[in-house]
Amino acid sequence: MSEAPEDFRDLDRSLRAIRFEPPASFGAELAGRAARGEAPRPPRRPGPGRALLATAALVAGGAAVALGRPIISRSLPVTIDRCCYDLDGGGAADDGVRIVAKRDAEVRRLWVYEDRDGSRDLSPPDVVRLRRGAAPSLAEGGSAGLIALRRCCLDFDGGGPDDDGLLVIGVPPDRVLMAAIYERRARAPDAAHSHSRLR
Amino acid sequence: MPIPVRANPLRSATAPPEGLCREWYESHGAGIYSYLRFQLPSAAVAEDLTADVFLRAVRAADRFDPNRASARTWLFRIARNVLRDYLRHERRHPHVSLGALDDLRSQAPSPEERLLWKEEVARLLAAVATLPASDQEIIGLRYGSELDTGDVAQILGLREPAVRTRLWRALGRLRRVLAP
Repeated sequence: MSEAPEDFRDLDRSLRAIRFEPPASFGAELAGRAARGEAPRPPRRPGPGRALLATAALVAGGAAVALGRPIISRSLPVTIDRCCYDLDGGGAADDGVRIVAKRDAEVRRLWVYEDRDGSRDLSPPDVVRLRRGAAPSLAEGGSAGLIALRRCCLDFDGGGPDDDGLLVIGVPPDRVLMAAIYERRARAPDAAHSHSRLR
Repeated sequence: MPIPVRANPLRSATAPPEGLCREWYESHGAGIYSYLRFQLPSAAVAEDLTADVFLRAVRAADRFDPNRASARTWLFRIARNVLRDYLRHERRHPHVSLGALDDLRSQAPSPEERLLWKEEVARLLAAVATLPASDQEIIGLRYGSELDTGDVAQILGLREPAVRTRLWRALGRLRRVLAP
């Protein structure tokens, strides 16, 4: 029975009917992240303004260049291995993704695997569900029963911040036809415009 | 004389972080997610913040005292802080697109009815997003997560009549926003 005053009954009823649901595999994914001791993002603190930060970065960069020192070598590829999630729609959070990427830029190689030996990274006993090179493409396999799974947000490209998402298309319970990462743009107004092109 | 330290049962060997996280999520995850989602522009952000809530809770489990508050109240207080922290630093997006409502639960039998329901929810949430932050918070707690006003009072540290008064005032403002 509604506890709202008569004036608000309709509005109360409409609002009570709104319910959002997280993805079904989200609980298992969270438990896996807790088991790995993953830290929540630290609370943001008010800091110096963007203009001040930008000025400081310019000054620091200019000083480093003037001294002839490379600031950071960003050209070397990095290998990122993230496990364990449900990436093949099988229901168990036992899949991982290994990505070799140019830091915070393009993906060079990518594997989606099932972590058979519980090592929480790609190792010889694991079953590789998808292996791809630099460009994402949809493997052949028909369109019946296709699902798309998304995992956001972690650092999948070695850029530093947890601002990358992983998109996987497959047919449950064990076929993976496409996997790609994207970078989330924090200030986009909605999901349709919230990420960069797939890499 | 040293003060004796009482072992927290939640930190015992039988409650590893994974188990604790799973247990809390199974009991309260959907409510926390829906509460956060009520005030956020997309499912992706709601998932991020829900994860933050539970990862923070697991890390702080030894500070949880069931004699002072239920796990639900404690988790919602963490969620409230996580949400406040996020909203303080992000530009608000009163516009709610239909495409961003894929995680909306709907029992409407036909696609047409589901679309109408999405449109109605987008209209309501866009209106909620124009209200003062305190109104959004109390509406989110009450309606986002199926908490009754007694639960909301516990989370906010208020008396229940005060919660009701604040809620009805918030609904009054919402109705004025929605009025044609």
